Amino acid sequence: MTKRKFKIGPYLLVSPYVLFFLIFVAFPVLFSFYLTFHKWNVISPMEYSGLYNYEKMLHDRLFYKSLINTLYFLAIHIPLQLVFSLGIAVLLNTKIKFSSFFRAAFFLPFIVSGVVVTIMWQQLYGFNSGLINRLLTDIGLDRIGWLTTEKMSMPSIAIMATWKNVGLYIVLFLVGLQTIPKYYYEVADLEGATDWQKFKYITLPALNPTIFMVVIFSTIGGFSLFIEPYVMTGGGPLNSSLSSVLYIYKQAFDFYHMGYAATLGFTFAIFILLVIVLQKRFLEKNY
Amino acid sequence: MFRKLIPILFVVFAFSACSTDQKTKNELTYWSSNNMQEITFTRYFVKKWNDNHTNKIKFQPIPEGQSSEEVLMAAVVGKTTPDIYANMWQGLVEMYAKSGVLVQLDTIKGFVDFIKKRSGEKVLKEITSTDGHIYQIPWKINPIMSVYNKKEMDKIGLQTAPKTYEAFLKAGKMFSKDTNNDGYIDQWIGNTSIKNIWYQRLFDFYSLYLAASNGGHLIENNKPVFNNKYALEVLTFLQQLYKKQYFAKENNATGSDKFLGGQYATKWTGPWDISYTNKFKPKGFEFGYSPIPVPNSHQGPVYTYADPKNIVIFNTCKNPLKAWAFIKTLISEKGDLKLLSLTEQLPRRQKMEASILFQDYFKTHPKIVPFIKQSNYVYGTDNCELMIEVLSIISDEYEASVVYNKKTPKAALDAAEKAINILLGNFKTTN
Repeated sequence: MTKRKFKIGPYLLVSPYVLFFLIFVAFPVLFSFYLTFHKWNVISPMEYSGLYNYEKMLHDRLFYKSLINTLYFLAIHIPLQLVFSLGIAVLLNTKIKFSSFFRAAFFLPFIVSGVVVTIMWQQLYGFNSGLINRLLTDIGLDRIGWLTTEKMSMPSIAIMATWKNVGLYIVLFLVGLQTIPKYYYEVADLEGATDWQKFKYITLPALNPTIFMVVIFSTIGGFSLFIEPYVMTGGGPLNSSLSSVLYIYKQAFDFYHMGYAATLGFTFAIFILLVIVLQKRFLEKNY
Repeated sequence: MFRKLIPILFVVFAFSACSTDQKTKNELTYWSSNNMQEITFTRYFVKKWNDNHTNKIKFQPIPEGQSSEEVLMAAVVGKTTPDIYANMWQGLVEMYAKSGVLVQLDTIKGFVDFIKKRSGEKVLKEITSTDGHIYQIPWKINPIMSVYNKKEMDKIGLQTAPKTYEAFLKAGKMFSKDTNNDGYIDQWIGNTSIKNIWYQRLFDFYSLYLAASNGGHLIENNKPVFNNKYALEVLTFLQQLYKKQYFAKENNATGSDKFLGGQYATKWTGPWDISYTNKFKPKGFEFGYSPIPVPNSHQGPVYTYADPKNIVIFNTCKNPLKAWAFIKTLISEKGDLKLLSLTEQLPRRQKMEASILFQDYFKTHPKIVPFIKQSNYVYGTDNCELMIEVLSIISDEYEASVVYNKKTPKAALDAAEKAINILLGNFKTTN
């Protein structure tokens, strides 16, 4: 058996990433886990608290409320995202005039700062002076409390988030659409298939990997919902738009309960992991 | 979560790396807030001091961060706090004091007498921490008052903003209306933020509570003491304003400034409003300031929230006496006049209206005079380590009862009292 010679070169090559990983990923994760067993307001010494933070979380009504709110947001946001991005991508994939302009226009909100978009939509959603309500009044409909009613706050945020992110998913679907061989459609045409049949039996199955990716990305993006409720509603009315990340933020940076915020963060991360695994299994099984 | 901690750690590392080199021996560092007016104010005094002293002051605005609190915390963790920090919200001082990172100022010879002479006995009591020591120098305030549109008040037969709850509701009934007959109110007697954020309650519920209770407390001896007739009257009054649509149920951020546009007849604000309104008011717009409303049976002066920002000396300071000597120049009578004239923020100085030094300024800035008079009747916050959370709980209940009418004011106060007792560890239960 020959003895393998230790070479330092490869280790040096990977060391920048390893260092980055250790400082900015591994250390924060381990430190946060350590924090879950402590009370810490940043400026006072840490105090060991055992499982207190976990016990507190189990009795915390707002923790459950924020989880349910986040799932509610996802339940609206993901289907909207899928339907609109796929629909628009299919349209843009046809030979229409100014398709490049439309592609850029749909992508634009995605690259605009989330805070800017949120403030703009806050103006649109205003009850008394918002443009949407003015249009509704002009056509004889009642105004809607987009951000001031429990029922509408989360759907309003989901609509805005969809508008902002739809551009990215349109691009993904366009890439997927352009990889479908043209002769599939030519054969279908020869067989006399309708447009709907071609979409159902060729386009949709061929786009399965993209659909899967869009669902996973939207889920992860949706779980990190923060800027929109933070700027627009502060989590209200009556905590109806309090997302999990906003709640964690409040605990950490409004109240300085770093240990408790870390506990919520860890639990939430495990919850996201479970949802993604379930989603993956379901989508892989069904498509 | 981890992403949020990374900037803090980064700031800690950054401060740790650069602070020791920058600070020369015997030099004191001073952080001010980063608004232009305060930078100008501090530069003036730092230059004056450095021209006449061998022990220099190194001044810089607080480094950029998501918030000044975050930057300060990072500095505390990295042990790179400045010697002096000016602009700390009074409600946060107790937390820093309990962490043992602030200098006990009452142990400095002459400190107590100086503050007593400048700000008065009441202020001295207000800033005394629960351990009996003083960790903050009362510096500046922004008393909350009613600003009113003179022409609109005139139309409903009033010379100033309504002074009692009854008068306010009556004015609300007269002023709030649907002017274009589309079935929706488009003109309101006033407005206050409906966002459930703790600090918003300082400018509505808390200011009105202080006014109604002659400067009453929220927390005393680690117990909530606000579940009383004054808080009940305040919540009932505010609930009526929303229920009867005399206040707009909308966030301030939406649309243009409705006070300047004439859709709101009044609002509750501080002296920062003077230069803003003067700058943006439409032609012919006239405005004035008066105390915030009180219950009909109210006796005595009308208190309000001071919105106090104070100066602290961190225990990393090697020469607190020198720091105090410098701070005394900032808060001298001349320093206070400079603060007022440069920043339009009020120094926490008693009887300013009687000071000869200030008279010329008052003559050229008559709009500040009501705030100066009001500054004799202000209160900051109670010394409670968890003040932000206390206000957050009150804000939750405020939203439920006042804005959305889901609870009676009494039920809201009971719930807030219970939750705060749990928070402060007065009950064993967790729910």
